[in-house]
Amino acid sequence: MKIPNRIAAVALALAACLVPLVSPGPAAAKDGPLRVAVTLSDLGCAARAVGGSDVEVTVLCPGGMDPHYLPAKPSLSRKLGQADALLFNGLELEIGWLPPLLEKARNPRVRPGAPGMIDCSAALDAVLDVPSGAVDRGLGDIHPQGNPHYTVDPRRMIAVVELVGRRFGELDPPHAAAYRDRAEAYAAQLRERLPVWRERTAALRARHVLLNHQHWNYLCDWLGLDVIGEIEHRPGIAASPRHVQDMVEKSRALGDVVVVAASWDHLDVVREVAGRAGASLAVLPGHSGAEPGTDDYLAFLDVVTRRLAEAAAAPGKE
Amino acid sequence: MNIRIPAAILAASAILAFGGAAAAAEPAASASTVTGISSLMNPAISVNALFLGETSADDDGHDANRIGLQEAEMQFTSVVDPFWTADLVVAYHQEIGHHHDGEEADAQDEAAFATDIEVARIRARGLPAGLGLVLGKDYVPFGKHVPLHTHQFAFVRAPVAVRSFLGDHGLTEVGARAEATVPLPWYSEFAAYAVNGDAEIFDAHDRDLAWGARWTQTWDVAPTATLELGGSLLHGPGAHHEDEPAGGLGVYGVDLTYKWISGARSHGPAVVWTSELILPDPEHAEGDPLGWYSHLQARVHRNWWAGFGAGQAADVSGHVDVGGEEVETLATWNEYRANLTFAPSEYSALRAEISQLDQDGGDADDLRFSLQWNFTIGSHPAHLY
Repeated sequence: MKIPNRIAAVALALAACLVPLVSPGPAAAKDGPLRVAVTLSDLGCAARAVGGSDVEVTVLCPGGMDPHYLPAKPSLSRKLGQADALLFNGLELEIGWLPPLLEKARNPRVRPGAPGMIDCSAALDAVLDVPSGAVDRGLGDIHPQGNPHYTVDPRRMIAVVELVGRRFGELDPPHAAAYRDRAEAYAAQLRERLPVWRERTAALRARHVLLNHQHWNYLCDWLGLDVIGEIEHRPGIAASPRHVQDMVEKSRALGDVVVVAASWDHLDVVREVAGRAGASLAVLPGHSGAEPGTDDYLAFLDVVTRRLAEAAAAPGKE
Repeated sequence: MNIRIPAAILAASAILAFGGAAAAAEPAASASTVTGISSLMNPAISVNALFLGETSADDDGHDANRIGLQEAEMQFTSVVDPFWTADLVVAYHQEIGHHHDGEEADAQDEAAFATDIEVARIRARGLPAGLGLVLGKDYVPFGKHVPLHTHQFAFVRAPVAVRSFLGDHGLTEVGARAEATVPLPWYSEFAAYAVNGDAEIFDAHDRDLAWGARWTQTWDVAPTATLELGGSLLHGPGAHHEDEPAGGLGVYGVDLTYKWISGARSHGPAVVWTSELILPDPEHAEGDPLGWYSHLQARVHRNWWAGFGAGQAADVSGHVDVGGEEVETLATWNEYRANLTFAPSEYSALRAEISQLDQDGGDADDLRFSLQWNFTIGSHPAHLY
């Protein structure tokens, strides 16, 4: 028996509409902890510290992955579909994968403009590396709103923690006081560690720092380090042999250079530059959770500052 | 549906669009109150252009050795209001024909171009319960290859199986599509649609709605690897072939994609393996028409991708008299391809490709070497996974 196309078409469309209506669906709110999806593991640490047992945190980008290039796996959309709130870094860091994830998540609680969307960059007083003058992709894969890698600066993370405390309280008023208290406590822990971390890296302030990518600019800004340039030259673009040579020569001329890279960088190029320049090398976990023992943000910064201190104390060695 | 728009209009609209964007920075924030002119609400605009140079070992009198524009695509995306997001894609492209005698003929031979509104759709924002709704003209969600824009293809052209059974330049139709996330322990999506049936694969004389559905399942088989299984069906009016009795067109498909992208390093190694089987309704043909392809892509170095592909289409090629009744016969086309792509950034790529298309038992073979390059300017939305 032939089914007329128009009848079949309407029936199928109705069936698609009914699938979510007869099921709990990802958008149905539930009692219990606030379900929070976060894009970066550093923000996940903040969410856990502030939320305690009142939130359930899901990190989309593991700490060991470059957050510029996270594959937008459908399973991540599924997680977003179940979230009550989304903490994201902003400044277009996640522009390559968060929009398609949100589109497929089909969750009205975490769509642009919804109360559950928490842009953590809103906590920043100042954004570094905001391009001036003409901005185009001839400058590489730049972020027109400025450098988005602020989570590696604990001072700025204190502001983020305070923002998260306020926003969680707005989303979940019965627990607002608990969120505020935990945010204050975590911010206090961070403030207490600031001088320790800064003191640990004191020797580095007498040297120069060559970065692979601008991932560490906020860290260097906080620690007061002298950044002489980036191996990558233009963000997201492989360094040309000419630029590599320029960086080697500049480092040799200055002397006392420490090359700093993240574990996800192309370390063959980084090691070549450090070797030819006679510089020491610090390969750092890019975010919390990138290595064993860095799951907590404080532990992550402990490892980062310790490794920087070791590189500063051992010129010419990794 | 080809909407014939002179290329000059397309160019003029591009100039106006970019000109408007450039002028946006000049007026003071409040100037629009008195001028009525503001670009703050302008859509995100991007242009992708694909160029293609080819040489064929079997030009057979055709002008197959040429270099030229393969496609230029302009995309506009913006939020319409609190309820809808809109996308408009206008493409100026080579018009590819398909001959049922087995000989592929495309604009490489004829240098014919067409301007299409490929996509003009609105997508619902914030519907409840994991529901999605798309209205307007859009790619039909059949299989893995049909919904791709040309600059997303793994090879210079669509696989022969897709070209044979689903059309040569995408399959975009006007209609409505409902999508739903199916509540399973893995990511599962169901889409059903009803469209107007304007594409050349449908009967042009017996108009009726076409309809179809797609169901995909995606599993994380490892932290950095996924396996996707999809099933598609498409029913429409008339038939694929002009001279057969009135009837329905039915096409069914199943596809499998494995994707692994190293999480340890930026631009690290990656593998994408996609295979698709396409089964047209065999009711009017002698034998069982079918098509399949299998594509393997691997990122072999930071900016370098290697691709290998094979495919086949057993399609109607002619008619024979069997007991006084005329029935269609099938010819099998085999396709083999390999390419190397250099993509220095996300916004440009250069590709060299060699491809072989031959017919079982036939004398029409086509060995081609292609050089394709493309660039994207403007604010181009990220592609889906």
